[in-house]
Amino acid sequence: MAMRQTPLTCSGHTRPVVDLAFSGITPYGYFLISACKGAGQHLPRLSGQHYGKPMLRQGDTGDWIGTFLGHKGAVWGATLNKDATKAATAAADFTAKVWDAVSGDELMTLAHKHIVKTVDFTQDSNYLLTGGQDKLLRIYDLNKPEAEPKEISGHTSGIKKALWCSEDKQILSADDKTVRLWDHATMTEVKSLNFNMSVSSMEYIPEGEILVITYGRSIAFHSAVSLDPIKSFEAPATINSASLHPEKEFLVAGGEDFKLYKYDYNSGEELESYKGHFGPIHCVRFSPDGELYASGSEDGTLRLWQTVVGKTYGLWKCVLPEEDSGELAKPKIGFPETAEEEIEEIASENSDCIYPSAPDVKA
Amino acid sequence: MQTPVTIPVPVLRLPRGPDGFSRGFAPDGRRAPVRPEVPEIQECPIAQESPEFQEQRARAALRERYLRSLLAMVGHQVSFTLHEGVRVAAHFGATDLDVANFYVSQLQTPIGVQAEALLRCSDIISYTFKP
Repeated sequence: MAMRQTPLTCSGHTRPVVDLAFSGITPYGYFLISACKGAGQHLPRLSGQHYGKPMLRQGDTGDWIGTFLGHKGAVWGATLNKDATKAATAAADFTAKVWDAVSGDELMTLAHKHIVKTVDFTQDSNYLLTGGQDKLLRIYDLNKPEAEPKEISGHTSGIKKALWCSEDKQILSADDKTVRLWDHATMTEVKSLNFNMSVSSMEYIPEGEILVITYGRSIAFHSAVSLDPIKSFEAPATINSASLHPEKEFLVAGGEDFKLYKYDYNSGEELESYKGHFGPIHCVRFSPDGELYASGSEDGTLRLWQTVVGKTYGLWKCVLPEEDSGELAKPKIGFPETAEEEIEEIASENSDCIYPSAPDVKA
Repeated sequence: MQTPVTIPVPVLRLPRGPDGFSRGFAPDGRRAPVRPEVPEIQECPIAQESPEFQEQRARAALRERYLRSLLAMVGHQVSFTLHEGVRVAAHFGATDLDVANFYVSQLQTPIGVQAEALLRCSDIISYTFKP
C-alpha cells in the first residue's frame, strides 16, 4: 500500500513566514527558528505585541518552545547558532537582535541605519554578520557588543542574504542581482556573480562547499570557494527558496505556485511535487539530519515534510501491515511524551495512530 | 485519472502550538539549567517548592539521564547478565518506546552468534558497557 506524504502544519504565526533556519544537532536534538512579517496583528493577551514574532520550535516535531518578543516591525531574517544556545533576528525596525535561545531573553540590540534582512553567526558564535537595505555588511564582535562593527561596502542594492563560508574565512552576500564573495580578513571582494534576474535565495552547504542560488525559475549550484557553476535546474514556476539535502541526494524547492518540488540532485529528475500551502512558499530548508524539510509560506504556516515518506520519525509513525516489515527496525530514541499538557491523549503503546484531520488550517 | 490508492502517513499527533498566554521557554523545559540537577544545593531556597515538586524534578532528571545513557549505548558492545547466571554480549541497536525490548545485533550466546535479536528487558538483570 503506497504511502502519501502527511505534512505537519505548525501553527502560531498568523502572518507570512519569510525565513526559517535550523540549528545544528545538539544533545537536545535540533531546533528551528522562523520569522514572520508582523504589523497590525493584534494579540490581546500579549500586551503591546503587534509585530513580527520569531518563534523557536523543536526541530523534529515542530513543537513550539517559545516566541522572541521585542522587535517592533516585520522580522525578515532569523537564525540560530550551531548549538541553538543563541538566536539572531533581522527586522524592519532597523535593528538586529541577539537572543538567549534557552531562556528567550533578549541579549543585544544592534542598531542599523535601515531595514535589516539577514543575520548569520560564525561557527564559534563569536561574530554576527548582518546585512540589509543600507547595502552594508556588518560584522559584530558579540563579546564586545558596544564596539562599532566592521563594515564592508560595495553592494549597490539592498542585501538580501549574507552568510559566513569556508570556515568563516569568507563571506557570501547576495543583493538583487549579484552574489559576492568577500575575504573576511582583508574585508575585500574576491569575486562576484551577476544575474539578469532577481536572486531570491541563497544557501551554503559547508560539506562540499556548495552554494545554492535561486533566481527566476532556476535553482543553481555553484562552488562556494570559486563561485564557478556546478549545475542548475529549471522548475515549473518561479522559485523563492531551495535547499540541498545534507547527503546531496535530493533538493527541495518552493515558490510562487504554492507547491514544493523535490528533485534528485544527481539526475535533476523531478521526484515529487506537493501541494498543501495556500500561498507562495518563501523559504524551505532541510533539517541537519536530512530526515525532514520545513517550508514557510505567505499563508502564515510552517510545514514539516518527510524526506522518506512513511518512515517512522518525529511525529510520523509507520504503520506495519500484518507481518513485520522491518521498517520499525530503527526506532528513534527520544524523550517520552509526557501526558500532562496534552490536548489529545496519548494512550499506551497500543494506541492507534491519529490520521490528520482534513486541512482546516487555523492560523 | 488513475491515481494509485494511497493512504496518508499516520501521525502520533500534530505539532504543539503556542500556548496563547505566555512567550514560552518553559523554565522546566528540556534545556533548562545547563548544570545537572543537584537537589542538595539550595542556597536560595525557593519557598514555594513543595517536596512533591522537588521529587518530580529529581525523577525527571534521572529519567533524562537514563535516556541519554541509552543513546550513548547505540552501536557499542554491551554485556548483559540474564537469569540463571547467563551472560551474553551484543552490539546495542535500540530500545522500543517502553524500554521493554532491546534490539541488538551480533548477539554472542552460549550456542552461537545470532545476527539480530530482541532481548526482552524483563529477562535482563543488569547490563554494562564502556562508552
